[in-house]
Amino acid sequence: MPGNWIAALALEALPEADVIGVSVEGRDIALYEVDGEVYASDNICTHGHARLSDGFLEGRQIECPLHQGKFDVCSGRALCAPLTEDIRTYPVKIEDGRVFIDMS
Amino acid sequence: MSSAFPAAHEWPAEGTHRVPFWAYTRDDLYRKELERFFYAGHWCYVGLEAEIPNPGDFRRTVIGERSVIMVRDADGAINVVENVCAHRGLRFCRERHGNRKDFLCPYHQWNYSLKGELQGVPFRRGVKQDGKVNGGMPKDFRVEEHGLTRLKVARRGGVVFAAFDHEVEPLEDFLGPTILAYFDRVFDGRELTVLGYRRQRIPGNWKLMQENIKDPYHPGLLHTWFSTFGLWRADNKSELKMDARHRHAAMISTRGQGGKNEEVVGGVDSFKDHMQVNDPRLLDIVPEPWWGGPTAVMTTIFPSLIVQQQVNSVSMRHIQPNGHGSFDFVWTHFGFAEDSEEMQQRRLIQANLFGPAGFVSADDGEVIEWSQEGFEQKPAHRTLIEMGGHEIGDTDHMVTETLIRGMYAYWRQVMGE
Repeated sequence: MPGNWIAALALEALPEADVIGVSVEGRDIALYEVDGEVYASDNICTHGHARLSDGFLEGRQIECPLHQGKFDVCSGRALCAPLTEDIRTYPVKIEDGRVFIDMS
Repeated sequence: MSSAFPAAHEWPAEGTHRVPFWAYTRDDLYRKELERFFYAGHWCYVGLEAEIPNPGDFRRTVIGERSVIMVRDADGAINVVENVCAHRGLRFCRERHGNRKDFLCPYHQWNYSLKGELQGVPFRRGVKQDGKVNGGMPKDFRVEEHGLTRLKVARRGGVVFAAFDHEVEPLEDFLGPTILAYFDRVFDGRELTVLGYRRQRIPGNWKLMQENIKDPYHPGLLHTWFSTFGLWRADNKSELKMDARHRHAAMISTRGQGGKNEEVVGGVDSFKDHMQVNDPRLLDIVPEPWWGGPTAVMTTIFPSLIVQQQVNSVSMRHIQPNGHGSFDFVWTHFGFAEDSEEMQQRRLIQANLFGPAGFVSADDGEVIEWSQEGFEQKPAHRTLIEMGGHEIGDTDHMVTETLIRGMYAYWRQVMGE
């Protein structure tokens, strides 16, 4: 089944080993670069109202700036308190130097 | 020349059959009471487990003047934490009760677990701006060191007590074997159901409420409603019992048949056998097996709790002082999960005797207020607590103020006054 692939960002705009927030079809998305791979998740934390892109990426863990909840950016899994809900992740592909994410 | 407002405060006589008015009017003594009774060495009532049945359920209450939160965590454990943010000291929790995954202070969104641990601090690592990180907490900041104040918790028979003082003796030792038996009589492991609350602010010293329930000789005289319908009679079979330190007590009574076929009206002049209440369920007795005989047991647990069983009405009465001359009185009426619908109705109907507008309890709020008014205008004077003599001891009758003398013996010991 074909996905709803949307161009989110030029690959070169994505900082190495860091996180950036983008708006894709009106939705706040966080893009992560981890060891040469790109991952995407919702940007608003499932706990407090804060942007994960303002937080701190360590390896594949993003720490929310508000209450230090951590998610695994590859799986979206909530890793510690105060988080109780995982975060939605999106499939990513790179084509023609651009990052596409599947919004379907 | 005697002073109307003496600088020195001497106890008026040996023992405790005279209690100075200044024991009720001094702010310095009141603060000492908070420290020595409510914040150290004593278990204070916080609530019933049935009030917070599910994980995340919480209920805000008070110990002394300190706001605390009783909460059930995800493991089912009950925690009691002080309602003061570790950051800037806010009494952050404003709802009386609710359900939460965690606690959040609204000021800077410091976030706490239901066990009171600090979980997250906004901008702990600073805020990223133009490739630079600004601010943030210092490197030596440890969340582990900045949780909410956690109280020691004791649960027995579905009742929750807490103490700021983690060195407090076990609850069972605190109550002592005599009072523990009367406590267990009500809370014998049956599931409790909360029927409702009542709250009132009474403009009098908090000790007056303990005295009121340690004074078995006033009901037939003050509460004319009781004696009009023969509910309280001076010839009721009764006993008064205390713990070894005389701070807690049980007033145990077994009601007679009432009505004119009894020979003794017992010295109460308001008995009127031609008067009847419209709904007899207010007055009549459906004996319950767990009573084991007595029709009423009023248990005072020092400093802040009264366990009421008056026939079929059972409730917790919680004393929450706010200043030397005022306290909030919070009633939690309850029943048992095993009650029939008819019994639950009966408990609710009999609850009309109690609370701020109760047929009986309204009188107590009034006389406590009037007592305080008398004390305030004449602090050099003293009360007289000599019914039944000067002694302190258990009795098999109600015509005595022995329990009040006992409470003040304990009070003097702890307060050093």
